[in-house]
Amino acid sequence: MIPTFFGTTLLVFVILQSVPSGPFEQAVMQIKMAKMQSGEGQTSSSSDDKGSIELSDRVLEKLRMQFGLDKPVWKRYLIWLGVLKKEIKFKETQIGVPFRETIKVLGQGKYVPISLQRWILVYEEDNGDLSILGSQVGTDFKWKTDEYQILPDAYDIENWENINWTLKKKIDENNVSIVSSKRQGVFTGYLGHSSKHNEDVGKLIWDRLHISAFLGITGFILSYLVCIPLGIMKALKHGSRFDVISSGIVFIGYSIPAYAFGVLMLLIFSTTTVFDAPILPSRGWRPEDWEQLTLIGKMIGQLRHAFLPTVCYMLGGFAGLTMLMKNSLMENLSQDYVRTAFAKGLSEKRVVVYHAVRNSLIPLATGIGGLIGVFLASSYLIEKVFGIDGIGMLTFKAIGSRDYGIIMGFIVIGTFIRLLGNLISDLCYALIDPRIRFK
Amino acid sequence: MNIQSESILQKRIKRFKSIKRGYYSLLALGFLYMLALLGPLWINNKPLILKYDDKYYFPAIVDLLDFIPGINYPLYESKTFDQNSSRIEVDFRKLKKEINKQNNGNFILMPIYPYHPHEDLKDQLDEEYDDLNNNNVYDFGEPFIDENNSGGWSENHPPTLPAGFKGRHLLGTDNTGRDVFVRIVDGYKISITFAIIVTILSYIIGIAIGAFLGYYAGKIDLFGVRLMEVFSAIPFLFTLMILASFMQPSVFLLATLSVFLKGWIGITYYIRGEFFREKAKDYVSAAVSMGTSPFNVMFKHILPNSLTPIITWAPFAIIGDIFTLVSLDFLGYGLKPPTSSWGNLLKQAAENLDNWHMLIFPVIVLTITIFMITFISEAIREAFDPKIYSRLR
Repeated sequence: MIPTFFGTTLLVFVILQSVPSGPFEQAVMQIKMAKMQSGEGQTSSSSDDKGSIELSDRVLEKLRMQFGLDKPVWKRYLIWLGVLKKEIKFKETQIGVPFRETIKVLGQGKYVPISLQRWILVYEEDNGDLSILGSQVGTDFKWKTDEYQILPDAYDIENWENINWTLKKKIDENNVSIVSSKRQGVFTGYLGHSSKHNEDVGKLIWDRLHISAFLGITGFILSYLVCIPLGIMKALKHGSRFDVISSGIVFIGYSIPAYAFGVLMLLIFSTTTVFDAPILPSRGWRPEDWEQLTLIGKMIGQLRHAFLPTVCYMLGGFAGLTMLMKNSLMENLSQDYVRTAFAKGLSEKRVVVYHAVRNSLIPLATGIGGLIGVFLASSYLIEKVFGIDGIGMLTFKAIGSRDYGIIMGFIVIGTFIRLLGNLISDLCYALIDPRIRFK
Repeated sequence: MNIQSESILQKRIKRFKSIKRGYYSLLALGFLYMLALLGPLWINNKPLILKYDDKYYFPAIVDLLDFIPGINYPLYESKTFDQNSSRIEVDFRKLKKEINKQNNGNFILMPIYPYHPHEDLKDQLDEEYDDLNNNNVYDFGEPFIDENNSGGWSENHPPTLPAGFKGRHLLGTDNTGRDVFVRIVDGYKISITFAIIVTILSYIIGIAIGAFLGYYAGKIDLFGVRLMEVFSAIPFLFTLMILASFMQPSVFLLATLSVFLKGWIGITYYIRGEFFREKAKDYVSAAVSMGTSPFNVMFKHILPNSLTPIITWAPFAIIGDIFTLVSLDFLGYGLKPPTSSWGNLLKQAAENLDNWHMLIFPVIVLTITIFMITFISEAIREAFDPKIYSRLR
């Protein structure tokens, strides 16, 4: 299970890192565009060739460092995992000249935004070694509370201490480039940074988790609640008209992709094609005037919005579950132990419910874990149809905007849920089937 | 009396044929696929035969063979055919009208349904009229065909509603003025072609890898199974979208990607399992002891004996592949418009929900196709792996 997690994330990581037009290329493009617009390209060029808007090697190298592309892929993967330290800040500075590092933006002050800063000094010792020193923290302007003091001038500071910045490269006699690094990755609970939303991926996903989870879990529970009794009925009445007709319906349900069914439902219930007025809302997760609604209004609004997506979620595994239940029960009913149970003189109800059905649920238990994964992970189709801004929609949009942070974060969560699902299935297996014991 | 004994395969095929709905579904789908493949001959805006100024042209046939490298559909310029039009390419439907009017030895045979899946008919949806003064505009008094029985000539704008068999566009046109029926037929061709390519490729790869793992077992097998676990844990469609988003997707490219990411895994598992079971049997030991090479043991002895899961798995694989392409196109990361794949049709319909005919027909055709493949799969399973449930009550 754990090797699989690493293998999968590594595979997707390598794919993402090796495809063109990633964040790095986008950044290069942006800088080029900015240069072109400001006309800098033209002025600096002596000839009329287009090469004038090419970036200099120095800038490219800086950018590459910023995106961590100066390291081999395996190192980048380990950094992403949080095993190796990640270079977070990067600075080229002169030896002996202190600069201010912004640690945190505190907020809007009276006139300007105020941030927490400290001085950093690259200091050359007598034997030629370079050490990087930092001062105490302080604000650049007066902050509202007395919690922080204003950072004094660099020359007034006497207590310099060693800090977590390290020397990256010596550029020449007087200049060095230094980096601040920190262990920050999946293992430390950091899923990455979204370049488009400019926010932590963990937070973005967490904010939307309740939507996807609500739809997924509701659809999941409902489909089990419907499919198991239906499967049992079909098995008991095998060959009857009920069986044939319900089989037909189930297979039609299987033949329509859930999202296409969703579009069909939208056509019926949310446009004026069939009914005179739209019955259900066509887009969104909640009514737009959610805040103003009363409790009952909220419930009704939520139900109206969630109804069609939930039906679509159900449809996804409906046919498979029903037929699995039916076939499994049929197989069990033809077993010898059922014959024995009947021979003992037990009632049909008891034989079916206590003997056959319990054993027939075993194959379904294997599906439980897998289904959880499917419901959470492959929801972008349905979310796209109904315009719901859940995890699926977030990641779907991330592909378009090449937001690698979100993509990798989603892969982590998706793989994790899937593997967790497998574990749950195994546990359910043991719970239902008394013959299986993990020892 | 000569009694010919039947092989197991013959028996199974006979049993399959005896399950009527599966057998006829297979025949129907196969026949329709042939028709769809020959589409350029019966749904096309190019004539089958054209005789103009004592020269013969066969544009539709060239169009049909266009997929062969080396054959390129030539440009038929409008001035070659004395057509005064702003477009460079000749409009054959118009040419047909002109030829019929002139009656000077020229001859044209258009396909039965003279529209092309990618053809934009925006300005050709108005009711047909006889342009007596050749000014390309309808003038009052010119004869016309009253399609909507309004009594007067009427202009139409896309999307137009289904016209049925009497009108020009059987299932109407979509919002950019393309014929829905033609696009559905073309979409059928694309879907099935994609599914067949994926299935064949994943069978070749899956059988090779599965046979190797199952036959040699041991550490190679352990490694292979780990690899399969890794691949089966990736979110398939999601990764496929990422890969497709920076490429120029074609049917073959998408098929290869989908085989690489998922297609080979299922069949590899099956074959590996079958090989594990089969290689312990006596006939394998006999073959090995006779000095048969491992390759021959694997593919001449064991493989023919482990075909059952391969064949029963095929319809499910095909259904999955069709769904893959539809989803991918629906999300906009598959074949690019104006390709008339079903996913593109659904996407277009979802964006134009007010036009019911754009949605209903593709969904119905897709559903029926999948439904029929389900019948086939049921029949195959029944023929190859019959299960009889005996019950007391």
